[in-house]
Amino acid sequence: MRTIFSNILAIYRKELQGYFASPFAYVVAGIFWLLSGVLFLRILQDVQNVAAINDQLGGGRSVDVPYEVLVGFLGWLAVLCLFLLPMLSMGLYTEERKLGTLELLATSPLTNWSVALGKLLGVLTFFLTMVLPLLIYEAIAITTTDPPLSWKLVALGHLGLLLMAAAILSLGMFVSTLTSSTILAAILTFALMAALLILNWVTQAVTGPVGAVLSHLSLLEHYGNLAQGVFELDSLVLLLSYTLLGLFLTAQSVDLFRYQRS
Amino acid sequence: MITVEQLHKQYGGTPIIQDVTFSVNAGEILGFLGPNGAGKTTTMRILTGYLPATSGTALVDGADVHKTPMAVRRKIGYLPETPPLYPEMTVEGFLTFVARIKGIAAGDRHSQVESAIRRCNLEEKRHSLIRKLSKGFRQRVGIAQAIVHDPPVIILDEPTVGLDPRQIIDVRNLIKSLAGDHTIILSAHILPEVSMTCDRITIINRGRIVATNTPSQLVAQLQGGSGYEVEVEGPLETARSQLQQLAGVRSVESLPPRVNGLHRLMVNLSGGEAAGPQLAHTVVQAGLRLHEMRRVQASLEDVFLQLTTSEVPAGEPVQRPALAATVAPPEVMANAPSRPTAPSGQSGWRSWFRRSGSASTHTSNDSTPVDSDQGGS
Repeated sequence: MRTIFSNILAIYRKELQGYFASPFAYVVAGIFWLLSGVLFLRILQDVQNVAAINDQLGGGRSVDVPYEVLVGFLGWLAVLCLFLLPMLSMGLYTEERKLGTLELLATSPLTNWSVALGKLLGVLTFFLTMVLPLLIYEAIAITTTDPPLSWKLVALGHLGLLLMAAAILSLGMFVSTLTSSTILAAILTFALMAALLILNWVTQAVTGPVGAVLSHLSLLEHYGNLAQGVFELDSLVLLLSYTLLGLFLTAQSVDLFRYQRS
Repeated sequence: MITVEQLHKQYGGTPIIQDVTFSVNAGEILGFLGPNGAGKTTTMRILTGYLPATSGTALVDGADVHKTPMAVRRKIGYLPETPPLYPEMTVEGFLTFVARIKGIAAGDRHSQVESAIRRCNLEEKRHSLIRKLSKGFRQRVGIAQAIVHDPPVIILDEPTVGLDPRQIIDVRNLIKSLAGDHTIILSAHILPEVSMTCDRITIINRGRIVATNTPSQLVAQLQGGSGYEVEVEGPLETARSQLQQLAGVRSVESLPPRVNGLHRLMVNLSGGEAAGPQLAHTVVQAGLRLHEMRRVQASLEDVFLQLTTSEVPAGEPVQRPALAATVAPPEVMANAPSRPTAPSGQSGWRSWFRRSGSASTHTSNDSTPVDSDQGGS
């Protein structure tokens, strides 16, 4: 157990070091910060405008500005993640294959699961450092309101964001085991993300039992629940299941690659 | 230390290695020799547990490679054909990482890394990024990562390929210095590599082992192993027939003369007998003036070429006569008809997944059309 933990830690540290030493990762982070900042500003202005109009009309329906801003912002972050996270996950295994280091990992006394988990935790930590600066301006905007937004709501939304990112990265990691071309891995992951997005649209359009089943499987739907502050255990379970599925497929795929093609 | 028995491996019906059986004693250096695509890399990958064998067993220090992979992985240090390096890491950082994943306890890690750096002469480069290192240094880092956990068994796949002569000597000395404490298997497709460093040589061709022996024994067993080159002055004919009748002389050939008036003869010996003195005596008795007499020994190159290129192996098969004499030719025949179809079948979707590194090394050799499309040598 201890060796498994130290193996995961070794991979984790290597991955994290790789991200912080890579200009590419900073470019992705930079784009993320720029776009998320612009989005936050737009959403804040929109919600404020709506609130101002409502106040002027005096219709009695007041807008919960901080809540609307938070939910809107988290929703748009999800879309942003769908397009930026594949760029972080695309190199996870393709690079190892290109460098031949997969052979080193596969002939060292550590399991595929340890490698996959270490890698996932590494990239997730990098994502976390991408999200942290956002918390600063979210905090500034939200705490100045009166009454302030419940911190539980904020925490739940961000937990959801992290879990969704874990699921996306995990699936992207699996895709990166399928090819030794980084670009191909990125394109395939984008395709998968587009499928998730379309599935979400279909979910919203279809009613009845089919719609219910789809909405239970939809990653974005469950994330949406968490982002809106609806705490449901099955949302957590589903997001974690996607992550585990990605890890499982990764571990299997690495073996398959070795056994069949190398 | 290492026992391999009747190992078979095939990809999609094409056999890569067949009936590979050999063993390596503790502290020994075994050279694995064969043309590109002969199955060296595949055999090594099976030994390291990277690939499963189709059938057969491989034991490393008593542990089965397939059944107890983790135990075997702890005992093996492996340098693949392309050194597995992370270009953005420093030498020291990379070796520390490898020590971690090899399961070295935190307390011993530093000293192990230090000793690997010292053994591979990497002191001056310890803080350099691997990306910035020359090929020779990268190869050394590759060897350092194979020995950093001080494994009893070290497997090196073409450790000197692509290095300049000076670096080759360095690497050879390094490998020799590792012998004794470690059991080493190293592969090469050129001979000097293994003949300089190895205690024993296994020659593999088209997936089969054709000979296993010490370098000197291999030479001795070669048909027409050695002879004398004689340069004489005087009437030749009588001497020639007398030489022919000497015990141990197989044939006498005339060679083109180098100096006017001097004859050059090549006297081929059949056995390992020391026929030198009689030879000299006969020449002088026949009234010839002996200018030069030089012993000519067949090189390992000759052994290698004889064992790997001729359709019917001409060499006295060593240790495994059945394989070399009777089994190899049908295999050669069996491979021949399927040859044209194999590359086209492989060039489809599988080529997407090929590692570029190994592909380029295989295609670089044009002398052997054997299985270069299979990704394993």
